[in-house]
Amino acid sequence: MADLKSQTPTQTLDVLGRVCPYPLVLTKKALEKLPEGGLLKILCDAPASAEDSLPRFAQDKGFPFEVVKLADSWEIYIQKP
Amino acid sequence: MATKRLAFVVRSLPYKTEASRLALTHAIASQSVEIYLADGDLVEASIAFIGDGVLNCHKNQAAKHYDVTTLEGHMKNTLLLDLKVLVCKEDLDRFGLTENDLLMDAEDIGGETNAQIVPFSEIAKEMESVDHLLFC
Repeated sequence: MADLKSQTPTQTLDVLGRVCPYPLVLTKKALEKLPEGGLLKILCDAPASAEDSLPRFAQDKGFPFEVVKLADSWEIYIQKP
Repeated sequence: MATKRLAFVVRSLPYKTEASRLALTHAIASQSVEIYLADGDLVEASIAFIGDGVLNCHKNQAAKHYDVTTLEGHMKNTLLLDLKVLVCKEDLDRFGLTENDLLMDAEDIGGETNAQIVPFSEIAKEMESVDHLLFC
């Protein structure tokens, strides 16, 4: 897994308080607009999205990603190749 | 890689039934299923309001009087996710409704797509062009 969390994100997407499928769909939308090489930082507190759908999406697309578990939420970093 | 196109055609009133709410929920949820499909497969969804269904698009609905929650959040989230939302002009005319009476955008939550008021002929074309048609 790439060391993405130490890099400055191009954009931060706050989906705190939103549950599946919004974190994933809003992430897809944000990534479409992100320039190539850009890094998206997602703030998420929905377990199913943070631990399943977002990593699965990034993996399927071949996008480098990193999931950081915080006390009661997650930071997910996805890089657009 | 294939794209399956769905259209949800809402004909139900915004009260007495959950049909319109379920249509919006399923249209929204359909945008996340690609992670479970074969590589590159996508799902596109559109929503058309016809007949009594156009009343779902009315803004400032007094939903609490009918012991239901407002559809406004669902409508805005649909536009936030850039789903195509079509509203039948002829049916709006039948109810004496204009664009000013409807929830047409979700700008307040960052939406960039607007609902479109179109003649039924355009909705019919949309219905003919999709892979799956779901009446609600």
